[in-house]
Amino acid sequence: MSRLAERFRQGGVFVWLSATVLAFCLAMILGLVGFIAAKGMGYFWPSPLVQVQTPDGPVLGEITGREPAHGEEPAKTQFRVGNRDIYGQDFRWILTAGLSAPEIPQDALLIERLEYGPFIGRIVSVSHDGRLVATGPSALSEAANRLPETLRIRRRIQSTEKGQVGDLNRRMDRLRLSRKKLERGGDPSALQALDAKDAVLQTAYDELQAGLEQSRSESRSWTLSLQTVDGQVRELPLASVVRMVPANAMGRLDKLGVYLSRLWEFLADDPRESNTEGGIFPAIFGTVMMVLVMSVLVVPLGVITALYLREYARQGWMVRAVRVAVNNLAGVPSIVFGVFGLGFFVYSLGGTIDQLFFSDSLPTPTYGTGGILWASLTLALLTVPVVVVATEEALGAVPRSQREASLAMGATKWQTLWNIVLPSATPGILTGMILAIARGAGEVAPLMLTGVVKLAPSMPLDGTFPFFHLDRKFMHLGFHIYDVGFQSPNSEAAKPMVFMASFLLLLVVVILNLFALNLRRKLRERLGGSTF
Amino acid sequence: MPSTPSNQGRAQRMDRFMAFTISGGGILIIGAVLAMLLFIMKEAVPLFVPPLVRSVGTLQAHRSGGSWLDESGKAGVLVSRAEGLRALRFPEGTALPAPGGGPPLPWQAFTPPNPRGECLVIGADGRLSIARLAWSKPPGENDPAQWTLEPHWQGGLPLAQVPIELLHFRLLEGGGLGGGLTLRVVARTRDGIVWAESPLEASAALVWKPLPHDPALHPTTAVWSGDGRNLFVGTQEGRLLDLDPEAGSLLSSADFGEPIQSLGFVLGQQSLLVGGALGKLGAYQWVRVNEVFQLQAFHGFPRLHGPVLGFQPSQRDKRFLAWTPSQAVVDHLTTERRLFSVQLDGPGMATLAPRGDLILHANDATGALRLWSLDAPHPEVSFGLLWGKTHYEGYGKSEYVWQSTGGADDFEPKFSLVPLVFGTLKGTLYAMLFAFPLAVLGALYTSQFASPRLRNAIKPTVEIMAALPSVVLGFLAALVMAPLLERLAMEILVYPFAVLLLALLFAPFWGRLPLTFRNAFGSGREVLWAVPVLLAGLWVASLAGPWIERTMMDGSYRTWLQTAMGITYDQRNSVVVGFAMGFAVIPIIFTISEDALSSVPRSLTSASLACGASPWQTAWRVVLPTASPGIFSATMVGLGRAIGETMIVLMATGNTPIMDWGPFNGMRTLAANIAVEIPEAPLHGTLYRVLFLSAFLLFIFTFILNTAAELVRQRLRRRYESI
Repeated sequence: MSRLAERFRQGGVFVWLSATVLAFCLAMILGLVGFIAAKGMGYFWPSPLVQVQTPDGPVLGEITGREPAHGEEPAKTQFRVGNRDIYGQDFRWILTAGLSAPEIPQDALLIERLEYGPFIGRIVSVSHDGRLVATGPSALSEAANRLPETLRIRRRIQSTEKGQVGDLNRRMDRLRLSRKKLERGGDPSALQALDAKDAVLQTAYDELQAGLEQSRSESRSWTLSLQTVDGQVRELPLASVVRMVPANAMGRLDKLGVYLSRLWEFLADDPRESNTEGGIFPAIFGTVMMVLVMSVLVVPLGVITALYLREYARQGWMVRAVRVAVNNLAGVPSIVFGVFGLGFFVYSLGGTIDQLFFSDSLPTPTYGTGGILWASLTLALLTVPVVVVATEEALGAVPRSQREASLAMGATKWQTLWNIVLPSATPGILTGMILAIARGAGEVAPLMLTGVVKLAPSMPLDGTFPFFHLDRKFMHLGFHIYDVGFQSPNSEAAKPMVFMASFLLLLVVVILNLFALNLRRKLRERLGGSTF
Repeated sequence: MPSTPSNQGRAQRMDRFMAFTISGGGILIIGAVLAMLLFIMKEAVPLFVPPLVRSVGTLQAHRSGGSWLDESGKAGVLVSRAEGLRALRFPEGTALPAPGGGPPLPWQAFTPPNPRGECLVIGADGRLSIARLAWSKPPGENDPAQWTLEPHWQGGLPLAQVPIELLHFRLLEGGGLGGGLTLRVVARTRDGIVWAESPLEASAALVWKPLPHDPALHPTTAVWSGDGRNLFVGTQEGRLLDLDPEAGSLLSSADFGEPIQSLGFVLGQQSLLVGGALGKLGAYQWVRVNEVFQLQAFHGFPRLHGPVLGFQPSQRDKRFLAWTPSQAVVDHLTTERRLFSVQLDGPGMATLAPRGDLILHANDATGALRLWSLDAPHPEVSFGLLWGKTHYEGYGKSEYVWQSTGGADDFEPKFSLVPLVFGTLKGTLYAMLFAFPLAVLGALYTSQFASPRLRNAIKPTVEIMAALPSVVLGFLAALVMAPLLERLAMEILVYPFAVLLLALLFAPFWGRLPLTFRNAFGSGREVLWAVPVLLAGLWVASLAGPWIERTMMDGSYRTWLQTAMGITYDQRNSVVVGFAMGFAVIPIIFTISEDALSSVPRSLTSASLACGASPWQTAWRVVLPTASPGIFSATMVGLGRAIGETMIVLMATGNTPIMDWGPFNGMRTLAANIAVEIPEAPLHGTLYRVLFLSAFLLFIFTFILNTAAELVRQRLRRRYESI
């Protein structure tokens, strides 16, 4: 007994305990990252379509979840049955007890559509302008042959709508604004000129629309006749098919093809179906633009502040206090910065700019509402301490001997800074910038107040003058996660998208951080010393 | 390069220029960043600025017994017995075109127009009519000279007896044959207070009926309740009665304490204002207390001088006007704040403009009209309301409530910050309960026992954890963890104990292994051996959880919580928030604590070990106490992070502002509240400013925590250097 007590006092047990706690923490981190990665990356891999008999009839779909029996609740299996237009919901929980042995029918087909989520069932026939072209087993290959052409047409329509039609719309908008200005006090001849311009634009618009309409009807002429597993038949124009996946009849290579094409769609396409399907390109683009603008703002601000604090200010309690204050800004909640951004940048600054320069379009605000400029400025304020701290550390690490050598050669203070100190502090400044970017990319709360939207009609950077639109609202990966996961009407179906977006955000943030930490470690190893 | 004088001069100039630019720029940036605090404060300050009262003018007019002001405050209507309706322009007092029509003059009695512009008139012919006052304004016309007053007259009821004074009336929907309006009116006759009811378009004479009340009481005034069914009656004896005149019964009564002079309502017709003959002011409401409806006194206001002659509510918020012969005041119901108080020079009739920003007083004796403007943009907020319990309309007692917006226009906003601060503290507490032990123990192990290679792998991993976007954590917490916890609550609760037990069992087993084996594979790498313990813990928990639920909780923990403990289980609860937010806080506490622990001077640990202490004893008794200021500082920084965390709380709780420490329900924190409400808060409105105030609080609070942490850390650093 005394030996046990002695052992207890020596505390080998506690070492074990603390090791277990640490292992638990590490397991949580790795488990979380791994979980998100697996959930996100696995979603695009075509999973087999399983057909089972239930007491209520046959069910065909992907198995997306299983719940073992727990307490009084029996075991259940979750099927993604698709066909939201027919069944009303994509997912169905079925009691595992009543299921027959699962089959994997070779002719089962998953069709990704523009609307109502995927169709899961079988293809019966293909027709063109109402004439039957192919039935039975050949229907699938016929449809697959026609699909690329249809997709091409659709892409053409989309790019015309986005490019030319959008361009015309903007020009008409500008005409309307100048008309408004003229009507207040202008000469009638100018108004007539405007009318003429308006008419030209209108005809161009009509022509475009006619061309579009023709392409649309052309692409609508092919239709598929589809049958669900419980025998319901639906007609679907080929034009609204995105992808056909006969998952059960595919080899590994085909599946990889589908996987890559889905991944590409996710990264490069616009969202569909209120952000629950399609891609997240605008969100990625918006995040990158916002972070870029933020870096352009934050690096000079941070570096100048650090230079002042470290090199120019007289060191005393005042500077020490300012330094503590600036460091502590990093700990101020981000929502407070958001509130400041909303009150100061958006309402005060933006409102004033609108009154001075954009009074024509009032009461519709131009800068007096959230936009990418205000969001970036807010985040720049939020991340300034990160850059200041990193830069100060780097400046402090430059050996005194080097400065003194430079000054002894007769160089001025600025020459020393510019030629000697700053070059060797560059990695440190870079570390600060990367950490700032990583922090900025992951923040959502301040952006919600200063310019992020769930669906932006146009990008902050495009082909119309002045190309870079600082006043536009934008989409953001982090907000996308919040919005799709929480505000979406069909959040169960959107979950994989959210996992994928989370994974992407996580990847960006983790890679940036690893990079910065590595850079910092190298820097510290070179210069020695720790920062505690 | 040979340095020529001009070259050198350029370098000098450049040097001076850069010194100027950087110093100026640096000071400017620092100033700008710190000005953030000032700006946020500036936006919140108007909440506490006292209202601004200005005398707009005094004009001479004929005697009037009532008035009605337009929304804009630029025009008004005076009502008098001799001249009927007259329109005036304010503040000049010039007459506007007067409308014709209406009952024949002089009028025998009338009620002052209510805020909607309705007034009851008995003409010279002894018939009762109702006027609805309205301005006909050409679209976009702001000049009152272009407006015309268009009263809409209705009625013409014959009366059985002409009363001395009409007191109050209500128009009820439906009633009569045509489904038109029914008029209910109370009046004072020589026989006392009487009431009557009739369809508005009737031809039969209106018959006055006496009030059902105790003959020992002497009613002085009466008003109809908001729905027009009950009659509130004030008596000479200071009793406030609630009568049902149709059934002839007394529903409830309350003691006011002095003779009741006048009665009135606040916007929404829920709160009854009572004014005494000696200047006492109070508010009553009809509320359910202990399962019975009764009249309850729920607000009191500072006394006035002299008898309270009447009340006028604002049509925008819960402020009201009350006046005596010598004083007129505007008070706010919710906060009991006195927004306005002026001296008067005699009895008369006062009116509050619909927006509550203009006060008109007509002196009975002289006929002088006086006009004041009142600028009180945020009357619904006071220090006491933000931090104390307040008795709101419809509540049985004083409570802390946050409810900023409601469906109806007459909603009483409830701005108590206490539930939000409570929620913030609760979320922080749960997060720290989870994070603190894990982070500190983990840091202790990493700094004292882990092999250097392991340490170099652990530190960056944890630092990466600090960078995880909180929106991802929030999403996982809400959509993955919350359902998982709901399904496997017992297993998850059992798991930590299972791991603890297994670790304790595993340690002696390890001690029996040969020393050489232990040194080769174990020392400094215990963390790897802990993995099987964690996995075994999972297995044990998956067995023990359901077993506990079966044997002790009758199969379902949720029903057990409900029946045995009276707790409802919310899916998005504090445990989920604590876990997710703890996740965000662990790396912060871990990193700073680890730095502090591993910077403890070697000499101390060596001395301890040399004296025969075991490594754990050294770590626990020497290293930990020495580094404890560092751990304290780490905790402060972690607290700061948890207090201000927005996305996790926003996503992982139901955001209900309740005050309950229970682990199985949610909360609303200050930060999440800002995110939820500020997009809909009108610019410079009260809600907007209250949200800025909460941002200011968050700023100050986290800033203090971080500064304290920084100071502690600096002191510790100096101490390490001195050892």
